[in-house]
Amino acid sequence: MTASSTVTSPADMASTTLPLHQCSKGQTVRLLQVASQQAFADQDELVSLRLKELGFLPGAVLTVLGFGFLGRDPIAVKIGRTKFALRRAEASKLIVEPVAAEAPTEGKQ
Amino acid sequence: MSAQPIRYALVGNPNCGKTSIFNRLTGARAKVANYPGVTVERRTGPVGELEHSAHLVDLPGTYSLHVSSLDEKVARDIILGCMPGEAPPDVLIAVVDATNLRLGLRLVMELAELGRPMILALNQADSAAKQGMKIDTEGLAQAIGMPIVETVAIRRNGMQALRTAMEQFANNFSGERSASIDMPERSESIESLYQRIEALIQQFVEAPTARNTWQDTLDRVVMHPVIGFAVLMAILLMIFQAVFAWAAPVMDLIDGSFGALGETVATALPQGILQDFLVNGLIAGVGGVLVFLPQIIILFFFILVLEDSGYLTRAAFLLDRPMRGVGLSGRSFIPLLSSFACAVPGIMATRTVPDPRERLVAIMVAPLMTCSARLPVYTLIIAAFIPEQNVFGFFNLQGLTLFVLYIAGIVSAAAAAWLMRLKQTRDEFPLLLELPSYRIPSLYHLLIGLRERTWVFLRRVGTIILALSIVLWALSSFPAAPLDATRPAIEYSFAGQLGRLMEPLFSPMGFNWQMCIALIPALAAREVAVSALATVYAVGGEAALGSALGASWGLPVALAYLAWFVYAPQCLATIAVVRRETNSRSATTFFTLYLFGLAYLAAVITYQLASWLLG
Repeated sequence: MTASSTVTSPADMASTTLPLHQCSKGQTVRLLQVASQQAFADQDELVSLRLKELGFLPGAVLTVLGFGFLGRDPIAVKIGRTKFALRRAEASKLIVEPVAAEAPTEGKQ
Repeated sequence: MSAQPIRYALVGNPNCGKTSIFNRLTGARAKVANYPGVTVERRTGPVGELEHSAHLVDLPGTYSLHVSSLDEKVARDIILGCMPGEAPPDVLIAVVDATNLRLGLRLVMELAELGRPMILALNQADSAAKQGMKIDTEGLAQAIGMPIVETVAIRRNGMQALRTAMEQFANNFSGERSASIDMPERSESIESLYQRIEALIQQFVEAPTARNTWQDTLDRVVMHPVIGFAVLMAILLMIFQAVFAWAAPVMDLIDGSFGALGETVATALPQGILQDFLVNGLIAGVGGVLVFLPQIIILFFFILVLEDSGYLTRAAFLLDRPMRGVGLSGRSFIPLLSSFACAVPGIMATRTVPDPRERLVAIMVAPLMTCSARLPVYTLIIAAFIPEQNVFGFFNLQGLTLFVLYIAGIVSAAAAAWLMRLKQTRDEFPLLLELPSYRIPSLYHLLIGLRERTWVFLRRVGTIILALSIVLWALSSFPAAPLDATRPAIEYSFAGQLGRLMEPLFSPMGFNWQMCIALIPALAAREVAVSALATVYAVGGEAALGSALGASWGLPVALAYLAWFVYAPQCLATIAVVRRETNSRSATTFFTLYLFGLAYLAAVITYQLASWLLG
């Protein structure tokens, strides 16, 4: 797991954790870690960094908006007020845990 | 104040409204060109209505100085001042979408580390206010150490604060130019930078809880795998309808005007080489290009509307998976769609594809999309050879043939793309596509964008096609026919001789030498084949030509001719654009040879199969 700077300890990785691409439409999840993905080969580190730069950081709350035309790929997610389309390969790097649907807040109330 | 203009650079995320701000500041005085050696658009212009002289460059959209695409690399190199031939900017105007603060601020904080003078433009300040957001710009400006102004790019006077900030900078400007900067190492982790941003937002931004908006409702419809796909197909159908139906009257008008102009010149000047050159070389050549302008303008108009509204990324999202089946991605969708009007703007539009390998494949298959220049050839031959009758009760056989020709192009493009991607390493290339908020496109920006793209098309292609039509005119006119000639003059010309030379090569597909001759001037533009055939068969009018062809060609030959036109890169302008966009001689050679090879193969197979089937 070289790509991740915040590796969660195995004890925390309860059975409820799953990669983002396995989530279902409308689900709200919390990002636990950005894991490595073989498919990107030597680009994997760069993809991890870019995901983090775009705001996919541990602790971030994501909502799954839906999937593309064929198969469950790509996947559309909302993070804060921003929406992104990720392919299955990128989504599989994002290890998440489901949370009760709560609207993410921004700034002071 | 220095005599030299102060150099400003607009920096920001894709979709933050940077280009709208650029349009507002420079008005209609922008220049669009390429950065040397790369096909990234360079948009520059003087800023009007300022007391000092200012020069503005609109950098490609970027998320980070740690680049992941050619666009981002160009932006970074100019910001750092290490782009060859590009002076370092004196001031960075960082544009942040106020409704998308975190992502924008991250780039701003990264840029601030460089130490260049900066102005932060909070764009879409009106939308943010409407959402109930309150941003303490003064406090935030003090905290991050740069002036912050609010801008509303869709309003005419939405740039007032930015102009004032630019004046203030100019008044304090020492005249000392900025130097280039070395790329700094990542000094802090992304996590800690985001923590600082989070703290800033906590302190200076008041935002209500994000709730579901009409935007989310719209997304639930247009991004739905079934309903969304139906919406996409309906939109495409409407665009096609517009490109072909709405453009027709204007195209007829242009065609008619050039015809009338040719006739006027023909009667005004004495018969001879000059008259022939002006009428058949120059006027016919320029007319041949301009006739496609209405279609291209309509197509670009729709693409701009879809792009500015934010819908295009949704289409790319929906089509990503099916297109990946053949090694492309959703991002290649628009370039290929444009190619149905003309491959030249389509190939130019592949610049938006970030993966260089995918972009090359998209360029290679773009001409297989049936462009509008093939239609005159198709309709001539279909009308002459395919009976007008219904099959299966309701399909018109002629229309069905046309449909099959379109499908043949699409299927072949998919197959070719798939084959080309086979030999490449199939490393994943991330999609990471931001789906921007929907916006009502502003007419001002649409018109500026349309003017820009139309101009690029006219300049790039107009010059190439013009030069080529002159060369082809010369080939078809020299040497002149002897005085006692009984056959059409073109038979005696270089083109005629070439047609005779080509005949043995083309005999496996049944082409006679007249058909070969017509292929040569058709290199300028495919539809010229029709007038060239009229010349060699010495008939005027499409109906007369049709019956002349019907009398001298068999059905298998006619079908083979159609098959040839589905594949042949029968258009030198396209080849020239491929050369320019790939910047590679070997890629251009491959492009030309593989398409001619396919055309040859398809025509031979069609001819032999049809001859055998029809006895």
